[in-house]
Amino acid sequence: MTTWLAIVGVGLVTFLTRASFILFANPHKFPHAFRVALVFVPPAVLAAIVAPGLFMPAGAFDATFSNPRWIAGLVALAVAAQTRNAVATISTGMAALWVLQWALR
Amino acid sequence: MLAKARPVQLRLLAAEVDPFPTPEARREFLAGCRESVPMLAGTVPFGFVAGVACVAAGMTAFESIALSLSTFSGIAQLVTAQLLAAGSPLPVVIVAAAVLSLRHLMYSAALSPHVAHLSVRWRVLMSYLMTDQGFAIGVKRFSEPGDTANREWHYIGFGLTLFFTWQAAVIAGAVAGAQVPTSWSLDFVVVLSFISILAPVLRTRADLAAAIVAGAVALMAAGLPYRLALIAGSLAGIVAGVFYERVRTR
Repeated sequence: MTTWLAIVGVGLVTFLTRASFILFANPHKFPHAFRVALVFVPPAVLAAIVAPGLFMPAGAFDATFSNPRWIAGLVALAVAAQTRNAVATISTGMAALWVLQWALR
Repeated sequence: MLAKARPVQLRLLAAEVDPFPTPEARREFLAGCRESVPMLAGTVPFGFVAGVACVAAGMTAFESIALSLSTFSGIAQLVTAQLLAAGSPLPVVIVAAAVLSLRHLMYSAALSPHVAHLSVRWRVLMSYLMTDQGFAIGVKRFSEPGDTANREWHYIGFGLTLFFTWQAAVIAGAVAGAQVPTSWSLDFVVVLSFISILAPVLRTRADLAAAIVAGAVALMAAGLPYRLALIAGSLAGIVAGVFYERVRTR
């Protein structure tokens, strides 16, 4: 049930933010401070998603060599910064994870 | 009697089959479709990953596809799946999706002067089809010199091509995802796909400050109930970015 409510709710939220100014508002009344803050939404949100995925895969902070994910993640970040290519980033990151998982076993 | 009626019917049918009011509209639409082709190289694997990730997070293939249709946003989809898998309550999932969608406000504001003259139906469709790439290409096309009539067809051509490719990729991923054993750690693909979007948005030192603070706060706040760490980290990062920019320009 929660899943279906989330499907509808998240759908509504994504639609309403997209439609906000196109459908409802006057773009000339857009406050400047808000516009400045919006610029930082992508880096902030993405980093807040990525960091726990790398450093706490099992729920607790782990930046040791028994956790291969942060190392594979840093490799992927370097590839992403160099190539800006999603396919290269994901495939290198997965390859690094598999090699580390195998080597650290 | 029948023979006389038939040509009229055929003409009506033809009018229904051809959705373009003018040849210019058709030209714009097809140009939009063509412009999306190089981007599909990124859409297909990311959509596939989004489908795999939803299933890996415990959703059924049917729920994954429904989520993909209701959001048409890979990021919203991945985060929703992840939060649901962690047992987050509904309000947290919705607020997280709202924070993630804040960038759409910026896109919407930038596009709105170009589409203010269009009907509500057009603007609803254009809103639904809005993506990071669609916005960028749309604003570029709307701002080019020359006759600006029919440019909404360019946006729609781009958006629909991306839409159908994306949904097909999600369906393939959702169906295939169920077959992959967990020892492959395929769930890491989700984090990697976020990394691939993160790196290109780190353009200035202020962006970097926002990202570092957001990541650090998200880790420190991991103990918060209802998986609020994502929201706390995001807001802290935004504040850090604004603050850095303000100190630097002073």
